[in-house]
Amino acid sequence: MRHATSRRIEGLPAPIQGVAQTLVDWIPLGILVLLWELASGTVVAEAVLPPPTTVVGEIVELIVTGDVFSHLFISLFRIGVGLGLSILAGVLLGVGMARSDPVENFFDIFLSMTYPIPKTALVPLAILWLGVGTEAAILIVFLACLLPIVLNSYNAAVDVDQNLVWSAQMMGTSDREMLYKVIFPATVPEIMTGIRQAVPIAFIALVSAELIASNQGIGYLILTSGQIGNYPTMFANIVIISAVAFVAVRGFEETRDRVLVWT
Amino acid sequence: MWVRQGDQLMDGRVTISELEKVYGEGAERTKAIENLSFEVEGGEFVSVVGPSGCGKSTLLYLIAGFLDITSGTIAVDDEPIDGPGTDRGVVFQDYALFPWRTVFENVTYGLEEDGVPKEERQSIAQKYIDLVDLDGFEDKYPKELSGGMKQRVGIARTLAYEPKILLMDEPFGALDQPLREALQDQLRDIWADVGKTIVFITHDVEEAVYLSERVLIMTRHPGTKKTVTEVDLDRSGTREEIVTSDEFADYKNTVWKSLHEETQTEVKL
Amino acid sequence: MDVTADAEGGFDLSRVIDIGKSIYSLVILLVLWEVVGQLGLIHYYFLPPLSAIIARFIELTLNGEMLYNAYLTLYRALVGLAIASVLGVIVGVLSARNDLVDWFFDPIIKIGYPIPIISLIPVFMLWFGIGDISKIIMVAVGTFWPVAINARDSTRQVQTNLIWSAQMMGTSDRRLLWRVVMPAALPGILTGFQIAMPLSLIITFVFEMVAGGGGLGALEIAGVRSFQSEQVYAAIIAIMFIGIGLDRLLRFTRSRLLHWT
Repeated sequence: MRHATSRRIEGLPAPIQGVAQTLVDWIPLGILVLLWELASGTVVAEAVLPPPTTVVGEIVELIVTGDVFSHLFISLFRIGVGLGLSILAGVLLGVGMARSDPVENFFDIFLSMTYPIPKTALVPLAILWLGVGTEAAILIVFLACLLPIVLNSYNAAVDVDQNLVWSAQMMGTSDREMLYKVIFPATVPEIMTGIRQAVPIAFIALVSAELIASNQGIGYLILTSGQIGNYPTMFANIVIISAVAFVAVRGFEETRDRVLVWT
Repeated sequence: MWVRQGDQLMDGRVTISELEKVYGEGAERTKAIENLSFEVEGGEFVSVVGPSGCGKSTLLYLIAGFLDITSGTIAVDDEPIDGPGTDRGVVFQDYALFPWRTVFENVTYGLEEDGVPKEERQSIAQKYIDLVDLDGFEDKYPKELSGGMKQRVGIARTLAYEPKILLMDEPFGALDQPLREALQDQLRDIWADVGKTIVFITHDVEEAVYLSERVLIMTRHPGTKKTVTEVDLDRSGTREEIVTSDEFADYKNTVWKSLHEETQTEVKL
Repeated sequence: MDVTADAEGGFDLSRVIDIGKSIYSLVILLVLWEVVGQLGLIHYYFLPPLSAIIARFIELTLNGEMLYNAYLTLYRALVGLAIASVLGVIVGVLSARNDLVDWFFDPIIKIGYPIPIISLIPVFMLWFGIGDISKIIMVAVGTFWPVAINARDSTRQVQTNLIWSAQMMGTSDRRLLWRVVMPAALPGILTGFQIAMPLSLIITFVFEMVAGGGGLGALEIAGVRSFQSEQVYAAIIAIMFIGIGLDRLLRFTRSRLLHWT
């Protein structure tokens, strides 16, 4: 792959070079933050765009006072349960459909009909069924994450190398054991890919549900602080949820790379 | 455009002098080619053989102008090269056809770039498609072709815009034996017909001896000229007559020994 | 069914069985839905009978309300997506071809992409209000990232050999972009559009639910608030048609443009 060469820093001792390189790489972001800081209160009203320093101060305050944690934990709980359930159901469904025709015949039509529906359009339905709150948010996260996981585990289980199955049979693996001794381990990398796709989707689903159908959680906090004109809090919470999403994705990738050492 | 003028030299002479190519900088600095001087006559068929990593592909891409020369010069008909040019045409090992263009459109590409009028383009392209036995496949896309057919498209498209010099990078390396042989014979015929300078990279000693008038053997780390073997074969007979002849065996042995010495020294290190 | 056509190849029973196998579960579910609703086993508010939903869907379609709201949603989503597509492809391709542009955009893309874009809806309401413009800008900002990243990565991955081939045949550096780079990167660029399209709908629906102003999202939420659950279901049916339609359209376009892959 072609990569930038003109901004490479050369000829410095290794550790310093690493630090210098990082600095150079992130200069553009620094420029943007600086522009933001300068624009706030001059080009645009401070209320409309609080300067980064104010937002950072607000984040620190939210953390120090602990105000943010109750909402953050509720959001994390919803995402954890929703995503967890979708992984459980998605893998079962995906592998089941791949290995059994009756299962595939039964579920395939539902998946292909619901596939093109943006799952956040189902938030009002979740309110109808479960009311405003945690259950509705969990349902939306669950539904939004289900398909990528089903699709990836289905494709992986269909494509399991027949030689693996034959060699296991040869060594005496029964059909019953085959599923968890051969098929499942062989599909794990693709299941991980499905989960990796699902994590950012989960955050979008969570925030959507919390904006519309919740009275707790970070999404709710963002909306209400905007409505009452407390803009520093609104921006601070956006930064917080973005940081959490970023950490969740990177954390998942790191964990996956450690667990899947054989790939 | 090549010209044959009595006994005069033909166009398409490649002069390489004191060529050096270095990749990377600092700790990653590696010398791929060092102090290489060599001349390919106009209209000559020269093969370059060497152990893998001897920089023979690098040499080809330097002549093509795709890579920058570190020091030294490469000149075509005494004119030092400056980047890629239509006087040199490369046939790539992995074909490098444009997948979004049909066989016909791949062959006409160079002519389009040259501003050749449409009707003329079509007749020229058809001529070269016929030459490589691909008539009937004009409207196929590369994905619909076998490896051997793709490589024939690669040869036809490069011939079509009439470069003086053909640079071929193990063009038959990925093909199986019967197909290789058929394409080798086709290439010999084309060379005899159109009279181009050909620089042919290969790691197959037999292929080099069978095809070319001279074989350049390269050392590796860094790559430079080891020996040059003149191959003065009587090629009027069939393939079988040629490859079973004693002189063919002698040439093959000479090149093989020279190449083998090179691989042996490497192993001792 | 055209019986005469079957006379030639014989009645293809296995095909009918295959179709039956693949849709029987849906038929059962739909019948069950209707029966449960009719019998009142589940409260009407949670799950109205299918027939009531279809009746409502037809009513909303005939009085023009459904079409108008669908038009509003599609207008916002597609205009936003179009803006993002143009800007995203330009920024993505330039990033891949130019070190300076890449240096500038790389950290911005790294930081911008993971932001759950939906969380910016209150910000856009603050900056641009709750009208069409605000929704269109929001969609454009949200769908910019997948378009730009896919355009950048697929441009970077264009094989050097293809570029060299064009250069040796006389293509100038300026023409290289149109003659080789863009066609070679087209599959990846279209993948970016395919990822961005559902995202544009997601953003539009949620924005409409939060801020109103018409559109299918607003129609759904109005249904919840006025306890007219048939309207919620009817709107979801419309959304399903739109989703399927756009998905098909993109797949069709892709297969037409990329028949050579």
